[in-house]
Amino acid sequence: MWRGGLPPLGREAALNPIIAVHQVYRMRWFTTASQSNGGKPPRHKARSHRSHGGFEGCVCQLLSIDETLAMEHQPLTHPLSAAPARADRGVSPTARAWFFLSPSMLFLGVLIAASLLVLRMSVGTKGAEWSGFSLASYAQLLEPYYLKSLLLTLRLALISAVIAVLLAIPVAYTMSRLTSPFVRRIFLAAVLLPLLVNLLLQSYGWLVILGPGGMLNQALMGLGLIKRPIMLLYNQNGVLMGLVQTAFPLAVLPIASAMRGVARTYEEAAATLGASRLQVFRQVVLPMSLPGIITGATLVFAYNASSFVVPLLLGGRRVPMLAVMVHDQIAPLMNWPAASAAGVVLIVTTLAIMTLSEYITGRRRRMLEASQ
Amino acid sequence: MSSMIKKRQSLLPGDTGKFAGILSGFILLLAVLPILTMIVMSFSGASNLDFPPSSYSLQWYEAAWNTFVSPDSSDVLSLGKAMSTSLMVACLTMIFATIIAVPAAYALTRCEFRGKAVALQLMSLPLVFPMVVLGLALLLVFDSLPFQMTTSRLVIAHVILALPFVVKNCTAAMLSIGSEVEEAAQMLGASPLRAIVDVVVPLMKSGILAGMLLAFIVSFNEFTVTYFLYTIDVMTVPIWMYSRTVSSLDPTVFSFAVLIVLIDFVLIWALEKLVGEGGVSF
Repeated sequence: MWRGGLPPLGREAALNPIIAVHQVYRMRWFTTASQSNGGKPPRHKARSHRSHGGFEGCVCQLLSIDETLAMEHQPLTHPLSAAPARADRGVSPTARAWFFLSPSMLFLGVLIAASLLVLRMSVGTKGAEWSGFSLASYAQLLEPYYLKSLLLTLRLALISAVIAVLLAIPVAYTMSRLTSPFVRRIFLAAVLLPLLVNLLLQSYGWLVILGPGGMLNQALMGLGLIKRPIMLLYNQNGVLMGLVQTAFPLAVLPIASAMRGVARTYEEAAATLGASRLQVFRQVVLPMSLPGIITGATLVFAYNASSFVVPLLLGGRRVPMLAVMVHDQIAPLMNWPAASAAGVVLIVTTLAIMTLSEYITGRRRRMLEASQ
Repeated sequence: MSSMIKKRQSLLPGDTGKFAGILSGFILLLAVLPILTMIVMSFSGASNLDFPPSSYSLQWYEAAWNTFVSPDSSDVLSLGKAMSTSLMVACLTMIFATIIAVPAAYALTRCEFRGKAVALQLMSLPLVFPMVVLGLALLLVFDSLPFQMTTSRLVIAHVILALPFVVKNCTAAMLSIGSEVEEAAQMLGASPLRAIVDVVVPLMKSGILAGMLLAFIVSFNEFTVTYFLYTIDVMTVPIWMYSRTVSSLDPTVFSFAVLIVLIDFVLIWALEKLVGEGGVSF
């Protein structure tokens, strides 16, 4: 009800300059205050919102590791409630929990054992993979060709992360503020399709779009921008477009989740204090959803740094990204140590980026909490 | 800006304007453009890849149907066989992932134990682990085993990939239930195990179903890891399609692709319905 009583936004601009300056000043105060004070309420809000957020919220939760940890700190159930029943059986809760976890740990154990094998293999020598020891495979990665591939991978992953996040911000904001359930489902389906549909099929679609007689060339020629079809396939531009599109959902979901956590009351308060819509977005919504944005960028970077199908189909051999190289070392070359060394580099890069991002978002959250 | 607000009283702070709506709609259209293009191309009447196609026909669907019912001898493996492998692997993945994820979700939500943070991190590890390295690593493991595994190694790989999705869905479903129901069941004389099987699991049914659907989708669409692990007799549909198009892109593939996208879309829609309105809250 009271919302209807809000002064229309544009009207403040017409006030006399002194009041306007005063309002801007007050608004600044407000936004900084909201940044430092806003720690707990939005998180609480995020939780209650998520409880209605459905699948989207679930995927967001799934994709951001820090949130799984946040969940751990606030168990909804009372941990002691069922304990007495168990105590007389003489099984400690830890043992019981790990017993329940053991089947899934068996599968994850395969994953961990396998990665240790890769680590061992990477210091082996060709021909004597299990017994030899040399760092030749890592030294080989420093040769110009492989170094160029590594740099290319990091560069493409970085650019695609920046573009994907820039494109994801408006989509995530719109998604987080949608009210109609049907439109929400359409939006969510459109976000989930590129994530879940086979990358191979999407790459076939890109082949049609980017080909010499493809959609993009036709459109550009129709607009008179180019005279002859330009080459988009089998170079970095084509691969970059494919990378941005396929990793786009990974940017949208955490950002939408973070933006849903920014309560509308903050926006209303900022608007009441005279901020324009753009100012509200830039100075309230964006800073408050920064952890989500960082998580999204990290996920896109990590996903694209190890991207395989897109460079394989859209880049051919001309865009040798690290993951394609790993496969090439095995399939035609049978050089297991070299493939493993490149794989280890991939794992280290991914984990380093993830840890860094968690450190940044974690520090930001701690800062927000400490300032209360 | 101000005139727009005067015109539309409903545009309050926190509402998205028309501009943002159209912009995000456009970006989302770009995001699904490759899929849409493929659907249009599958109806092409021409035999090249020019877009838009010069004429429209169902010839590629016809060709696809012929490939399905009477496989070429040139193909390494028939589509029907690849399809049945795919479905079998996806179903087995779905079943195994669910069976192991439900107890794990129970431990992660109901128990406080040492090493819980580690367990949580491990559970999300397959999501961030580079897929190529996973393929390479599993290939190393399975090749060093003394016995041959064909279909089962695909299932193991897919279960690892699908596990985080299923665990997260089950965890979320279990969190929404609360432990009172379980305590009530135990107070009425049910054993702890019976309380879980007969009370908790039926209550979190839609969460489990959502996890199963996701596991199926992940397995059915998986390419990268499978590409490392397939053998010449056991391949899934994506691998079959890739081996068919590795030399030249054959528009028949588009009609298979449309079929797969259709299946995916139905599954995703069902998933959203199940999780969005099925009583599961996150």
